[in-house]
Amino acid sequence: MFNICTFKFYKTLIFLIFFTSINFSCGKSNNPKKITLASSGKIESLDPARVNTIKALQIISSLGDTLYEFSKDGKLIPRLAADMPVFSEDKLKIYINLRDDVLFHDGSKFDSNAMKFTINRFKKIGTTNYILGNKIKSIETPSKYRLVINLNMPSSSVEGLLTSPNLSPLSPLAYKDFNDKFLNNEFVGTGKYLLKRFTNNIQILEPNINYWGKKPKNDGINIVGYSNSNSLYGALKSKQIDVLLSNSIDDVQRDMLRRLSENNKIKEGRSVPNEISFISLRTNKKPFNSLQIRQAIAKSLNRELISKKVSYGLRVPTRSIVPAKFKKNLLVSWPSYNIEEAKKILKKQGFCNGNVLNFPLTYRSNVPTDKLIALAWQQDVNSSMKDCISMEINGVESTTIYKNLSEGIYEAVILDWIGGYSDPHSYLKPLLSCKKSEMNICIEGQSVFSGSFWASEQVEKLFLESESKYGLERLKKLIEIEQIASKSIPYIPIWISSQKAWSQKNISKPVFNGGGQIIMSDLQQLNE
Amino acid sequence: MNRNFIKTLKYSLIKIFLIPINLWIIATLVFFLLRVAPGDPVDAMLGSGATLEAREILRNNLGLNQSIHIQYFTFLKNLLHLNLGLSLSNQQPVIEIIRNALPASIELGVVSFIVAICIGFPIGYLGLKNKDKKLDGVSRIIGISSYAIPPFWGAMMAQLLFSIFIRMFPVGGRFPIFQEQPQITGFIIIDSILKNNFSALVGSIYHISLPAITLGFLLSGIFSRSFRLNLEKSYQSDYVEAAICRGINDRNILMKYALPNSLLPILTISGVTIASLAGGALLIEVTFSWPGIALRLQEAIFQRDYNLVQGIVIVTSFLIVSLNLIVDILIAFFDPRIKF
Repeated sequence: MFNICTFKFYKTLIFLIFFTSINFSCGKSNNPKKITLASSGKIESLDPARVNTIKALQIISSLGDTLYEFSKDGKLIPRLAADMPVFSEDKLKIYINLRDDVLFHDGSKFDSNAMKFTINRFKKIGTTNYILGNKIKSIETPSKYRLVINLNMPSSSVEGLLTSPNLSPLSPLAYKDFNDKFLNNEFVGTGKYLLKRFTNNIQILEPNINYWGKKPKNDGINIVGYSNSNSLYGALKSKQIDVLLSNSIDDVQRDMLRRLSENNKIKEGRSVPNEISFISLRTNKKPFNSLQIRQAIAKSLNRELISKKVSYGLRVPTRSIVPAKFKKNLLVSWPSYNIEEAKKILKKQGFCNGNVLNFPLTYRSNVPTDKLIALAWQQDVNSSMKDCISMEINGVESTTIYKNLSEGIYEAVILDWIGGYSDPHSYLKPLLSCKKSEMNICIEGQSVFSGSFWASEQVEKLFLESESKYGLERLKKLIEIEQIASKSIPYIPIWISSQKAWSQKNISKPVFNGGGQIIMSDLQQLNE
Repeated sequence: MNRNFIKTLKYSLIKIFLIPINLWIIATLVFFLLRVAPGDPVDAMLGSGATLEAREILRNNLGLNQSIHIQYFTFLKNLLHLNLGLSLSNQQPVIEIIRNALPASIELGVVSFIVAICIGFPIGYLGLKNKDKKLDGVSRIIGISSYAIPPFWGAMMAQLLFSIFIRMFPVGGRFPIFQEQPQITGFIIIDSILKNNFSALVGSIYHISLPAITLGFLLSGIFSRSFRLNLEKSYQSDYVEAAICRGINDRNILMKYALPNSLLPILTISGVTIASLAGGALLIEVTFSWPGIALRLQEAIFQRDYNLVQGIVIVTSFLIVSLNLIVDILIAFFDPRIKF
């Protein structure tokens, strides 16, 4: 029977829930100068030798420093280096002078030995140590604050490598027992923040009072990970967080956030665009072993329409596989959308008029945008080229796709890429280079892993030449590489995206550095 | 000694003896199914850009280049020593990851279970007491709709309504980010009480409320429906009628005659519900970013973290099998009609 005791129990329970919710709804004000930043997913490790996710790299760039960094206009700026790198005459040595006023978080001094320790450790155990590409032969430390990097061959792209957060110096003292294994839940570097607490979902950063440079504008950053896009959006909308940093937020919510920022309800900050989405075409087998078919398919892709339908125009259609920021005014144009020309080419190849070109397009089923791209393209092709092209779309989980790419299983697959460091080389090399080829078909090399199997001897020659050139001369060589690729079309660029962050009205607008990392130290409360 | 007790003991011992065999079958299935699935931890960790050399080095470092039978026997040998190995993605001991994540899921499961009973029983009882009246209709609708609602949709709606529009609860997480989490057992509510930390207790209740109420509500339907049916059956039985004839009051009839007998079938349902909790909790954990074992399992599957997936599946299976055994024994203990 529902007696008075039962009633009291329920009343107490409801009161308790209401009390806790009311008590905590205003709980964020417990630490007003700290910024609460939310992002998607969790972090497995904060070891620079282990990390390869955007989120972890964002945090490491706040906990650590690099020798150099790129400014927004692409200029190399010394950070832990005292001045610009100097190359020897034969280009096989790089001389770098280091700052002498830098301390690690554990109080030990930063010097050339620490830098040597970090680079060697990354070479030895770094999961993404392939970005070094066998460029570095050895490291010398002639004096405490002078570093000499010996190269296996001239390599101008090393400059870009030295800006990678993966090479943020680590304290040899703190990592003494972790020379050949990862230290996942600690970070002892030189950055503006110290890591106070680390769990997979929560990271607490506190200002480093011994920092050599400009101090952070806030009293620390609380980073929290949410497992889905709805929670991230909801947390910002309901003011439970100060800043939302995520590139994996759904496009429909990105659009809503854009609208909120246009109405001055929140602030939006974005990096220079650096993430390229593209379609990789398997050039070693039918149907895409034919250049004409590749051309026709490339011309059937209506980037503007896809950007509008899928991303509400938030992602910028691109006809290049290298972000424009690297290319100054030297632009390269891959084939543009032209349905009539596409039909003409296909007719010449014997398609249309009853003979339809069938091709399957694979997308990563766990990336919502990829599915929408595939659907939008399929719908467009069905409405305008039904008699010429029949597109069949298949969703496959990303890990399976990565495994099968080099097996040549997919005729066409939607992928994306962010360079491992801020340099055009880090976009071109992983997509276009090939170690061993036969008749312009790559048998061994990077283009096998990106699923195109495309090779060009001329491109390999230009890659080699570019490594011994600097500045504009080097850039021209790299542009030439992209021009060759744009005529051969092993890939079809779709769009380029920026890293984005949104902050509450009472927080400063999020700002990104030239490498695409949010500058957490610039975030601050404005109404104090 | 009672003959039935000996039979129950015999039955329990057989069941306990079968647990390792069950676990071996599950472990073997998981081991081979994971390896049959395309992609491996190296692909998940390095993505599409890594070179063949980098992949091979990492594969070698993780011990994935050994032949499958060597990997299998090493896995079994380690399992016999209760060693679940290291996570392939972060080299942390699997047992440590489970130890950190499991209390979160158990805590959510237990609180949800309590919420389910607190919602389900009164609804079932009120429906029966007001049979064929408006309130009965309402209780039926609530009962049916609660288990007809897909958990992911229900969770999203609850989050949208209570966290985003009304702003009554947090959108996710287990504990306030700005507070130091008390750590003794891993169960934050218990730890907060043990540490006498009131603000931590309030913080943890604040965070668990919405996921637990949502999951509890979704589970309550099965309790309200079965409670109502069994209570009705009990009320129609001879012993209740005899009690009424003897002039025993309503309260005593309910508490001493009808309720104990109607609770027995619910004990059986509870065993099944525990297993479905494990599945239903995944969607709740994903929606509310609850750092439990189900969310960890989902992430481990995406990362192809073989050791972690194996470890979580084995530990979860062990818990479900053990809890079902306990439920079986309890039923035998409480219901003398049950014979093994």
